[in-house]
Amino acid sequence: MTDKVKAKSIVQKIGGFRILILILVAAVLGIILLLDVLVVEDSIFDPLVYLYIILGTLVILYGIYPLYRGRRLTGYYWERFRRNRLAVAGLAFILFLILLALIGPFFTADPTAVNFEEKNLPPLGFSIEESIYDMGKQEFVTRSITGTSQHLLGTDNKGRDMLAMIVSGTRVSLQVGLLATGIAVALGTLIGIISAYLGGKMDNILMRFTDVMMTFPFFLLLVFIVFIFGPNLAFIVLVIGLTGWTGTARLIRSETLSLRTREFIMASKALGASTGRIILAHLVPNVISLIVVIATLSIPGIILAEAALSFIGLGDPSVTSWGMVLRAGQQNLDTAWWVAVAPGVMLFFTVLAFNFMGDGLRDAFDPRSAV
Amino acid sequence: MAETILSVKNLKTYFFTSRGIVRAVDGIDFDLLKSECLCLVGESGCGKTVTALSILGLIDTPPGRIVGGEVYYDSVNLLTCPAERLRHIRGKEIAMVFQDAQSALNPVFTVGDQIVEQIKLHLGVGNREAREKMIRLLGEVGMPSPEKAADYHPHQLSGGMKQRAMIAMGLSCDPEVLIADEPTTAVDVTIKAQVLDLLQQLKETRQMSLLFITHELGVVSEIGDRMVVMYAGRLAETASVAELLGNPKHPYTVGLIKCLPDMTQTRDRLESIPGTVPSLIEPIGGCLFHPRCDRAMAICRQEKPYPVTVGEGHTVFCHLYSKAKG
Amino acid sequence: MRKNWLRDYTIKRLLFAIIVAWGVLTITFILVRVGPTSPADKYLANVAARGEDVAQVTAAVEARYGLDRPIYEQYINYVGNLVRGDWGWSFSTSMSVMGLIKTHWIYSFQLILLSTIFAALLGVFIGVISAVKQYSKTDYIATFFSFIGISIPNFWLGVMLILAFSVQLGLFKTYYDTGIPLLSLANLKQLILPVVTLGTGMLAGYVRYTRSAMLDNLRKDFVRTARAKGLPERTVIGKHVFRNAMLPLITIIMFDLGSIVFGGAYLTEIIFGIPGLGQISFNAIFADDYAVVVAVTLISAFLVLIINLVTDIAYTYLDPRIRYD
Repeated sequence: MTDKVKAKSIVQKIGGFRILILILVAAVLGIILLLDVLVVEDSIFDPLVYLYIILGTLVILYGIYPLYRGRRLTGYYWERFRRNRLAVAGLAFILFLILLALIGPFFTADPTAVNFEEKNLPPLGFSIEESIYDMGKQEFVTRSITGTSQHLLGTDNKGRDMLAMIVSGTRVSLQVGLLATGIAVALGTLIGIISAYLGGKMDNILMRFTDVMMTFPFFLLLVFIVFIFGPNLAFIVLVIGLTGWTGTARLIRSETLSLRTREFIMASKALGASTGRIILAHLVPNVISLIVVIATLSIPGIILAEAALSFIGLGDPSVTSWGMVLRAGQQNLDTAWWVAVAPGVMLFFTVLAFNFMGDGLRDAFDPRSAV
Repeated sequence: MAETILSVKNLKTYFFTSRGIVRAVDGIDFDLLKSECLCLVGESGCGKTVTALSILGLIDTPPGRIVGGEVYYDSVNLLTCPAERLRHIRGKEIAMVFQDAQSALNPVFTVGDQIVEQIKLHLGVGNREAREKMIRLLGEVGMPSPEKAADYHPHQLSGGMKQRAMIAMGLSCDPEVLIADEPTTAVDVTIKAQVLDLLQQLKETRQMSLLFITHELGVVSEIGDRMVVMYAGRLAETASVAELLGNPKHPYTVGLIKCLPDMTQTRDRLESIPGTVPSLIEPIGGCLFHPRCDRAMAICRQEKPYPVTVGEGHTVFCHLYSKAKG
Repeated sequence: MRKNWLRDYTIKRLLFAIIVAWGVLTITFILVRVGPTSPADKYLANVAARGEDVAQVTAAVEARYGLDRPIYEQYINYVGNLVRGDWGWSFSTSMSVMGLIKTHWIYSFQLILLSTIFAALLGVFIGVISAVKQYSKTDYIATFFSFIGISIPNFWLGVMLILAFSVQLGLFKTYYDTGIPLLSLANLKQLILPVVTLGTGMLAGYVRYTRSAMLDNLRKDFVRTARAKGLPERTVIGKHVFRNAMLPLITIIMFDLGSIVFGGAYLTEIIFGIPGLGQISFNAIFADDYAVVVAVTLISAFLVLIINLVTDIAYTYLDPRIRYD
């Protein structure tokens, strides 16, 4: 056998070149992790970066690459998606958010900079009446404060710039949304497919476990775990991912069950394909469209979960997130109402955008719906 | 001379869709006499079911609408009478039995309850009396163990039993007219024979008129007294069953009868009528059958055929017979 | 025949529920033990901060919780205690956890009950009208608002409602007054904003579901049969269509209870200062009072379990088509 053929057969044994790349990336990360923990003093990588790299690799290998290979099909789906104006609007908003998160911090002030001189400034174009007790005159003096262009969205009761805090919150929410959802969906898909495909005892055990996890109300479980282990952003992302997979697992399992008896799977088996190969090469591509829809529609819930955690004070204190701003806002409703409005509006539109986009994707992928 | 129970005049029911106006029924006339079985015959999509639904005003109003004509029952025009009156007639004077019993029955109620509901509504009797009547009815239609069957849900019954339950429901208030929409189509052969026997018997014992919709000529010859052949929403030919099957005039009817396999002859191919049913959206001019007709003339392309009497009670809608005799 | 099968199914389902309950207990135990600081440490830190004798308290705590024993003995103790009703001691409130729960559960209960009733009744009502009058103005408005309802973060909604109605308009107080007797109109009044906050998300979901289920069923053949029987339209829709559409709604209501209502109630109690189980758990978190947090988490999980069990069995009884052979 020539070298080329030898190399090819090895690659095929492992299950394709994509698995090869995955293994390489995991190995490199593993080494860096070990170095990080054991050898180097400061951390080489922020824990979030590990998650980014792994999920990014998965998305590129199993998401972007297949899209590129099947360009015509991708184009067809895009055409169908495009006709849903709300979905496209949602997509546009999300792209805007991503842009804001990436480059926004370079253009805005430091969200943690406290400045009591400029506290409680309303947004540009609004005014508020403020009553201050004037020591000299021995009476309350009311004056009107108007927003300035220096602080477009105003400031909170500690003088922190609202716009900066909102931009910082965008970054946090998107990170949590994308990463945690990635983990949850990946885990749910894995469990769902394995459970459905293997069936029997494995299916039973996995589904019992899923039932137990589903019995805990999601948010209360989050609160409980964060209480025990402490609020740290990377950890929160991990925890949300590790607790939010149950819905996905159920859905993917039922889809796989119906696929399992389809002829092309039986044909594959008859041709001698191994279980692993059937799962990766045949089942996964068929559930991908379902995965994409589930992921898109899960993101809002996850972003809200993190926001709720921060809102009640269990978020990462070193990070400015929308929930934290909302919390500050609630405590000052009578003096600075804009602090409570701005983060909520952002959350609302973000949720709306992902919901519209998810619905649009679902309709685009569904062969029975006429778009 | 039997009296006319139901009289349909120039009935037109159109469906207004985004692709155009579908003229499902485009000018149908017929009369149903007392105690007779009139068969409405034609291939799928010719408008037979829509006709039946129009009689009872059961057309889904967007997108469908009865745009013209009259349906007279007991000197009342069912198409224009007040809704209350129509409601009283439905189920009590004119009852309908549908084709697919599984989907036509409500899955969450027992068959007994569904029949009792109708009895109580129209006859105003109490629970016990209604239930007794219902069980008698189920017995009358040949339901095995009517007492038990009454408490079953539709999905627990076999196809034949479901069909009988539907018929029992139709008969429950002793209607004058029973409209049966292809009651034997979705059922297997043995049940088919039983259902036909049952309907025949009921027609006689109850002096009930039967409007029987079907596409099977065999069934027509068994149970029908008179028949009306429809094509693409319009009438083709009307006559007594014996007359029409023995002496068909309209080229379409002739073709239909020829399509029936003849057990006495040895042939290589079955006969069929070439071509397909026309689209009901863009009506072609003249006679709707002319593209498929082997005897089409120039006039067939231009003018719609009008009714011509070619025998006792035998009417044809065809230009071949409209030339003055002699 | 079916009766026998139903009975078997119920028994199987109960056994299953017990297994899940055990699973819940065990996972909670594992989570607590795996945590960086043990409940005892947090308590002792608290004790030290108050200047009490740490050594003495440590011995007492160890004896009570058996912390010097191997882990499986601790586990057995834990399960045994829970089953016997000894849910621990809350040092931050100086009450037994069981006592704490007994005093506060009613506030959570009234909130969740009223919100569910509000959401279910109003949601189904709007959904039915929306479906029967499809494409009308009413339908469009209802659909639009229901979409907003499910997208709006409920905790922000709560804050906005307070901003609008309490701060700006002064119609309500900004906090919940426990002095007001529970079965009074005044109590109902002060529960309006919290119920709207918690109920809106659920409401929107029910409107959407009801509308979709009604529309699906309105197209079915048995509706035409019902009309052919001469039934008045209101019976056709109200009895025949409705019964078919509403059957799965029960499962949806219960599923909501399991996934979002408890979380939502937790947040709503905190925002409005309603002293229910969510609020006391929250307070306990910031006081490092483990026992209370564990207890509330467990209770919520057990409630979800019971609700799911009851719903499952009820639904199986109600839908004549179900039979898992």
